[in-house]
Amino acid sequence: MLMMPVLDLQFGERIVTLMAALVLVLQIAMVSQRWIVLHIRIFAVQSLFLAMIAATIAWYNHAPHIYIAAVLTLIVKVILVPILFERLVTRMEIHEEIEPIVNVPLSVLIAGGLTLVGYVVAESFYRPDAPGVGHNALAVAISLFLIGFFTMINRRKALTQVLALLSLENGLFLAAISLTYGMPLIVELGIFFDVLVAAMVLGILVYRIRETFESMDVSRLRRLRG
Amino acid sequence: MIAELFLSGIVVWLAGAAASLALWRQPALARRVACGAALGGSLLDLAASSAALFSASPVFIGLPFGNPAFTWAVRLDPLSAFFSVTLAALAAAVSLYSFGYLKEMEGRRNLGAFGFFFNLLLLSVALVFTASNAFFFLVAWEVMALAAYCLVSFEYEKKKARDAGVLFLIMSHAGTGLLLIAFLVLASACGSLDFSSFHLLASRMTPLQQGTVFLLFLFGFGVKAGVVPLHIWIPEAHPVSPSNVSALMSGIVLKTGIYGMARVFFDFYGAPPLWMGTVVLALGVASALLGVLYALMEHDLKRLLAWHSIENIGIILIGFGAALMFRALGQANLAALALIAGLYHTFNHAMFKGLLFMGAGSVVEATHTRNMEKMGGLIRLMPVTALCFLVGAVAISGLPPLNGFVSEWLTYQALLAGFGTTQSLTRLMFPIAGSLLALTAALAAACFVKAFAIPFLALPRSPEAADAREASFTMRAGMTILAVGCVALGLGATWFVPVFDPITQQTLGVRASSALVMAHGWALSPGRPHGGTISLAGMALFFLVAGAAFALPLALRWRRRTVRGPAWDCGLPGLTADNEYTATAFSKPLRMIFSVLYRPRREIQAEYEVSPYYPSAIRFESEIEHPFEKRLYNPLRDRIMAAANRMKGIQAGSINLYLAYIFITLILLLLFGVRG
Repeated sequence: MLMMPVLDLQFGERIVTLMAALVLVLQIAMVSQRWIVLHIRIFAVQSLFLAMIAATIAWYNHAPHIYIAAVLTLIVKVILVPILFERLVTRMEIHEEIEPIVNVPLSVLIAGGLTLVGYVVAESFYRPDAPGVGHNALAVAISLFLIGFFTMINRRKALTQVLALLSLENGLFLAAISLTYGMPLIVELGIFFDVLVAAMVLGILVYRIRETFESMDVSRLRRLRG
Repeated sequence: MIAELFLSGIVVWLAGAAASLALWRQPALARRVACGAALGGSLLDLAASSAALFSASPVFIGLPFGNPAFTWAVRLDPLSAFFSVTLAALAAAVSLYSFGYLKEMEGRRNLGAFGFFFNLLLLSVALVFTASNAFFFLVAWEVMALAAYCLVSFEYEKKKARDAGVLFLIMSHAGTGLLLIAFLVLASACGSLDFSSFHLLASRMTPLQQGTVFLLFLFGFGVKAGVVPLHIWIPEAHPVSPSNVSALMSGIVLKTGIYGMARVFFDFYGAPPLWMGTVVLALGVASALLGVLYALMEHDLKRLLAWHSIENIGIILIGFGAALMFRALGQANLAALALIAGLYHTFNHAMFKGLLFMGAGSVVEATHTRNMEKMGGLIRLMPVTALCFLVGAVAISGLPPLNGFVSEWLTYQALLAGFGTTQSLTRLMFPIAGSLLALTAALAAACFVKAFAIPFLALPRSPEAADAREASFTMRAGMTILAVGCVALGLGATWFVPVFDPITQQTLGVRASSALVMAHGWALSPGRPHGGTISLAGMALFFLVAGAAFALPLALRWRRRTVRGPAWDCGLPGLTADNEYTATAFSKPLRMIFSVLYRPRREIQAEYEVSPYYPSAIRFESEIEHPFEKRLYNPLRDRIMAAANRMKGIQAGSINLYLAYIFITLILLLLFGVRG
């Protein structure tokens, strides 16, 4: 009797939905965040929830290869990337806060609007009989993607743009595992490799931009225009 | 066996490209490796493609790359094999020539890079001719364009070379864009990219689609072939590139456009509507005539040859256009005759234009100028080059008994036969095209009188020309091979014509050679009653015998006595090179006759010191107008630049703004997708 909820698919779906909601809340928190270090940590926590979602899906659907994706998420996004970025922040002695282009209250409102768009879009993909974790997770995934994209637009510093890009990628990951219980493993591995390389390359790039322009502000890149 | 030969040719070219790049620090070695690999690859390709031309069924070779949707596969059917033979024969001679030609560049230029692009160009052209699907074709096509661009701009420190390269690249890309659309339309109609599934496909489409695809292909391939009005890159790109590259560009890279047209017009279309043939014929006539007219006004030896490339592409297209019209009229035999004429001329042009460009290269290397007015008297200093150039000049002028005559004669025969095949007004096209072709041939002969006489005869017009030295052994060998080829293709025409049987069988379902070849291979006729008949070998034999009969008694009777005396100098003592007939003067009558087209502008400024009868200096300037640049391309370029300037507003250079553009587009597309 005690084991029942642990095996019930319906129950699993609710857990996934709950965690997806938390992921979404964290995403909106990231939009409103002004401190870079805190921004990085929120990203780490968000990725942790994502890894848990992956593990939950793997458990309830008996798809062992998703465990690998979950473990990789844990290693790459929860541990490696945040450490890498925090070291970058320390090394470059960034203390100032993030200056978004659109102010915080308006950003949060826009993020809410984008969540709405996410639900509208996800509705059209929803088939009651299709396998998958229900349309909530997909809607959250699309919202994550859109809000991540918006955050990327809304940031001036290359480092915070990279963070936004990574949270956008989280949205893609969620969409992939909630729709299809994970893409073929080789694709997942490729994506993780991509994320790691992207983080490293962008880390270097951020460093270079600062060296060249004495600032991480990408709006200085405007000077490169021909 | 054919597959192994073909693949080893590819491998040799690839290895040559890689090795010469690796050896760029040792120019002498890089030169030998590059030219040796180019020669070896060409010979292997020659063996493979000539075997494939006569093999019973098309040879299909899959390369170990790609995936099921985009296969890397080649197919040597008769049409592909014929063009490959053309490539390989020319490339072998040019590679041999390059051994000597590139020696002068040693130490001054990066021969490793040159060898890389040279081998890459040969490889990509070979794959263009043999690619068996649209995807692979376009890949090879673009590699070819890039390799050709790097070779054209090889002397990159000269602004003209850079500009010519950029012009070529822009034109080439515009053409590829058209081809891409056309192939996609075909692919969406049959659901496959394979050329074999395109066979006769176009004729099953609606007339509107058919016409659109036809025009896209015509202009897309026309850019590469240099059809008027898409020709403007040719007179810029050919002169500035190294001469062995010019020989390849003119001899074979232009022919990729011709190959594309042949593939589309005769393989993808069954019986095309009459207007298509008419359009091709009209474009061919325009190219031929305008090409030769502008060639006449040119004093830059290589630019002159470049304009002649446009002329000869026009002659090829006259053959193709007539073949298309005959096909639309249901005259398969005449269509085969016209197609043979076009293809024969394609091969001939590769031979004699390669020869002429190599001859021009030897001359330019010896005199360090491309301006004919500064050459002169080279026949004594460079006898072998002069003789080879003369053979090429006679061939391109369409004089018997060389190869240019045969293909032009076949074209005339096809055009003359065309008048009686239909009652509609379109039949007037045939005699009009025929007479304009005759005019073209006559003007070409006039032009090559100039192109041979001014550089090679009389006295040297500059100290550089007086110091010229004969080309090295390999250069002479390369030229001699092609010169012998020109003679052989003329005298042996009746033995060469059966080569086209597999092609006409494949495309038109007719084997024409038995009707064309008469009298056990001694005579050629258009295969219809009241047509002309010609026996080149017989003619040559007659002149040989008659000449011998005439000369032998003279030689036997009189001992050779030469009396040298001064030339008549009109009473002005001391004739010098300044008194010679110049190229400008030679072409003056034609400049007057066609002044409506040329709109010549002449400016004479004289400076006087004492009296107006004794000018101390005279400055003379003369130029003609190029209507396509002035009236078509310049306004077009200005429009594009103006539009680009207006678009500059959205290019703020801010990453955030660019991201916002993408974001807004994405949201709109998502919402649009949900609604739909």
